Amino acid sequence: MSNPLPPKSKSRLPERSFLFEKIVPASLIVLGIVTAVLIVFAFGVLIGLIRF
Amino acid sequence: MSVNRMLPFLSTAIMLGFTLYVLQRYVVRRAPHFLFWGIGLAFFGAGSFAEAYLALAWNRWVFFAWYLFGAALNAAWIGHGSLLLLVRKRWVHVVTALLVIGSLLATYLMLQVMPRLDESVFTTTRAISEQYGTKVLDAGEAAPAGAETISTTYRGEQVTAVRGLLPLGSAVRLTTPFFNIYGLLTLVGGAIYSAYLFWRKRVLPNRVIGNILIAAGALLIGTASTLTRLGYGQFLYLGELLSAVLMFIGFRVAARPQPEEVPQAVPVAGD
Repeated sequence: MSNPLPPKSKSRLPERSFLFEKIVPASLIVLGIVTAVLIVFAFGVLIGLIRF
Repeated sequence: MSVNRMLPFLSTAIMLGFTLYVLQRYVVRRAPHFLFWGIGLAFFGAGSFAEAYLALAWNRWVFFAWYLFGAALNAAWIGHGSLLLLVRKRWVHVVTALLVIGSLLATYLMLQVMPRLDESVFTTTRAISEQYGTKVLDAGEAAPAGAETISTTYRGEQVTAVRGLLPLGSAVRLTTPFFNIYGLLTLVGGAIYSAYLFWRKRVLPNRVIGNILIAAGALLIGTASTLTRLGYGQFLYLGELLSAVLMFIGFRVAARPQPEEVPQAVPVAGD
């Protein structure tokens, strides 16, 4: 009888990857900040603080 | 034709392919998020085409399409598709109804303003994004070079404004922040949230990367549109093209099927 090892999945993030350990989280933070800035700007237009 | 004027044609071509790809998936899977994505992307493409057309000639109904579909509605409809994908609650149907009603209202308001367009302002020497709206000048603010100004009364005050196609105080312009905010929250927020979820769970790297590309593409057009409102419309064409490319690539990457997990067997002593 053979014991199967844990599945070797290609759908998991690679171990010790610079892309997924550093670039991806930094990108998510930057994207979140830019999103917040744009939403604040849009609200500014909506309430008349920013004229167009 | 300058390079800048060719960009909307390229955006239109990319969005046409992207739209057909997504709508084909709706035909096969019948999932509502594909339908809303497809409609939103069609709006984006219609806006790009209208931009390309208006760089060459004037047509009031092409301008109608540019503003309504390109400036107002497309982000909200694409974003709503993302909401339908991520949230399986009944209240989403209420939001769907609000989106449809809001879109019909915006359409009505746009139709209302069409007889009052200041068509004599239009010129093919400037991008449509730089001449679509009449803008009040602040005290001491100078008008852009070559722009025509008018003195008029607005909200009870005598003001000087740069002439644009849409008259001052057009109600339809008040609807665009609502659609854009909703689109930002759902499309960009949804993509960032999805990317974060998969990253945190350490699974499906294609969906992490794909959603980041989608969010980046959507933010790019959001930023370009914001700069347009601030008077820097020269970035809109390039922003649209890069946005279309990023979102299409992101969608394809995220939708890529993953190889199945393959268990490995090792012989145990005694076999």
